[in-house]
Amino acid sequence: MAIFEIKHLTFSYPEAEKRALSDITLSVKEGEFVVLCGASGCGKSTLLRHFKTVLTPHGDRTGERLFKGDPLDAVSERRQSGEIGYVLQNPDNQIVTDKVWHELAFGLESLGYDNATIRLRVAEMASYFGIQDWFKKNVTELSGGQKQLLNLASIMALQPDLLILDEPTSQLDPIAASDFLGTIKKINRDLGTTVILSEHRFEEVLPGADRAVVMDGGRIVAADTPRRVGDELEAMGHDMFVAMPAPMQIVAGVGKNQATEPSARKDDSPFPWPITVREGRRWLDQWLSGRKVDHRALPERTASEQQTEDKAPVVTMKEVWFKYDRTLPDVIRGLTLNIVPGEMFCIVGGNGTGKSTTLKLISGLVRPYRGKIKIMGKPVKGFDRETLYQQILGVMPQNPQSLFIKKNVELDLYEMLEEKKIPIEEKDDRVDEVIALTHLEDLLARHPYDLSGGEQQRLALAKILLMKPQVLILDEPTKGLDNHYKLELGEILKHLQKEQGVTIIMVSHDVEFCARFADRCGLFFDGNLVTTGSPRAFFSGNSFYTTSANRMSRHCFENAVTAEDVIALCKMNTQQK
Amino acid sequence: MEDAFSTYHPVINFFYFAVVLLFSMFFNHPAFLGISLIGAVIYSLVLLGIRRSLKFNLVGMLPMLLLVALINPLFNHGGVTIIGYWPTGNPITMESIVYGVVMAVMFIEVIVWFACYNTIMTSDKFIYLFGRVIPALSLILSMVLRFVPKFKTQLKIITQGQQCIGRDIHSGNFFRRARNGIHILSIMITWALENAIDTADSMKARGYGLKGRTSFSIFTFDTRDKIVGAVMLVLFISVCGGIIGGLAYASYNPIIRFSAFTPLSISVYTAYLAFCLMPVCVDIIEELQWRSLKSSI
Repeated sequence: MAIFEIKHLTFSYPEAEKRALSDITLSVKEGEFVVLCGASGCGKSTLLRHFKTVLTPHGDRTGERLFKGDPLDAVSERRQSGEIGYVLQNPDNQIVTDKVWHELAFGLESLGYDNATIRLRVAEMASYFGIQDWFKKNVTELSGGQKQLLNLASIMALQPDLLILDEPTSQLDPIAASDFLGTIKKINRDLGTTVILSEHRFEEVLPGADRAVVMDGGRIVAADTPRRVGDELEAMGHDMFVAMPAPMQIVAGVGKNQATEPSARKDDSPFPWPITVREGRRWLDQWLSGRKVDHRALPERTASEQQTEDKAPVVTMKEVWFKYDRTLPDVIRGLTLNIVPGEMFCIVGGNGTGKSTTLKLISGLVRPYRGKIKIMGKPVKGFDRETLYQQILGVMPQNPQSLFIKKNVELDLYEMLEEKKIPIEEKDDRVDEVIALTHLEDLLARHPYDLSGGEQQRLALAKILLMKPQVLILDEPTKGLDNHYKLELGEILKHLQKEQGVTIIMVSHDVEFCARFADRCGLFFDGNLVTTGSPRAFFSGNSFYTTSANRMSRHCFENAVTAEDVIALCKMNTQQK
Repeated sequence: MEDAFSTYHPVINFFYFAVVLLFSMFFNHPAFLGISLIGAVIYSLVLLGIRRSLKFNLVGMLPMLLLVALINPLFNHGGVTIIGYWPTGNPITMESIVYGVVMAVMFIEVIVWFACYNTIMTSDKFIYLFGRVIPALSLILSMVLRFVPKFKTQLKIITQGQQCIGRDIHSGNFFRRARNGIHILSIMITWALENAIDTADSMKARGYGLKGRTSFSIFTFDTRDKIVGAVMLVLFISVCGGIIGGLAYASYNPIIRFSAFTPLSISVYTAYLAFCLMPVCVDIIEELQWRSLKSSI
């Protein structure tokens, strides 16, 4: 039985020319796990907001929405509050009260349950989600992952039949995200709650999903099991295919027809696309069996690396020690690091290992209690702030919103040059240059807060670049971005590096991004760099902390870290034959 | 040390502090003063631990006691027992010195009691108590307590972000600093308003605004709360009786007079002492019970 049905839903925001949703028809069965995919701005969030009356945006709407057979607008708000749960993107903003237990009870209080019932439900939820240990804590003491889990638990306390999640993990680090998604799957499996989830970590969610719905430009382009959707997207040559898991992309890149003999397949059954790394490995084994494998490794990019090694380093850290307070433990322990001009250096590693603190140290926001930090051969504290921040360093904050001041993008860019005593023409030139570089042309009249996450990131980058920094420092630049925006950001950074010789230092959880774009990667652990190396050498040396393409291919290829690498190696081996 | 009294029902906690604070503030009979001071200091020793409490009492309170006690005779020259003259010719009287000490003791008592109050009456207890009276207020208080730290963190993030583009509130001339400060504030306000939309959505999605909202609490009124409450009430009533009977009367100017120590008044003071030491007694009883449990295991 369908729990929720949408029939021919068309919607446009007031005064918008384009339709946000056009002719959406979707039926969600009871107990189903549906994953909604699509690039940012494709209408995913708008569609999800139509599943609940109080969250439905204002605008022109036609079409029908049915919840358990009743028109949604006729279902009372009380019933909707209890039966349809909704988890939003930002873990912090959803928390209303100061104590964990109060937050858990919030929805139940609204629905007017008595104390005994609330006590029971809250207790149940705290036990199910493993919250007992921090039940009486203040919400400010929780980590991002715990906060999002609390949001989920406080919704689940209402015992909803339908759970809607709008990119719930986009602000979390990979480990917390994978825990969270695991909990969602568990809820779906154990309680039979219907789940509709929009997400861009497909590798995590697709394996467990009953159905993947792909949206583009406000329409549904494909809605089927993940494997079939992969098939359809590939057949269409759709952009969204870049968002699919690495194994799928590798298969598409190598060519699926060569993989299995046509005789082994029935004509109407879909191609068994590998979704997980395990399936990918199996596919690769099959593909390689019967082939002579001459090429096991890609040639290293040696030339450029040796070049850079001769130059004087732009940032040096020598045996740096740091702690936030005398009584607190050391965060950075004897860190030594050299960054050569023009390279892109990525620091990866777990939470709380001191990655972000390292960036703070380099940018002079905090000072070490032992050791030396030099920028261009001069100690950081020797610089006056103006030269340091407006000519040498460009530091991009983790939250781009902390840079936006004006009411539209163009004004916001000019605002950055307000205090500079340079002629108007030069200001115009500089602004035009960064607009072209960061592809902001179409967004100039928009309010910074109306931009999507990826666009905000680009605007923040543009603002920083107006200062013409020589060293760019980025803290988690890919947080919350989908694959499409990540690639775009990566290309921009590469361009900066090549054309303007900018040195880039980056901290990231995103191993796929680092593998693809970095010149050198370093693994941070316990306040120090454990190893550094070129991405190929670095990631093929790790067995857990590495990309899925590498995990899929490490048993047959030596140093393939991105999907492209694997495809290239496969092709090299076919050409030989 | 985990204080046992703090695990009692908020009503009990609040009743206790309301009584001791009011009595400390309004009655300056030496017996009341002495008892209150002893009670407050002992309880702070139990709550804050010996080291912190001694530091707080000796380093913070003792100089204040001396200061207040000295200031009074400087300005107050009333009283019949003259013991000397200031260089200005004004008399120094014994009454004004004594009254200075009395005021200082009162002052310190209240501060020490409040230090104890802050450790025991956490925000959630306060919210719970006042939420009973005005339910809407309890949610608002809870939200305020949620948003103040949140905004503080965000302000720090924004300040650092601005600092990294060379806009510091600590350097440059006055106008520049003021402008940078206003920038930070402006970013902060935009951020707060934009993100409040999410919070509003999250509240609506969980049915906020429906009729008949209840107020959940994790507190229960047990038998032990009843017992302790009853004991406290009996003590309170007997002390009140004594006060109404004029046993707390004291006057320091122009001559020092206070109600005499009689068997009746001493029993009232004992009741007050018992009241003040209630939490400490509860702690001790709990501790003894633990010991006996442990030894029986």
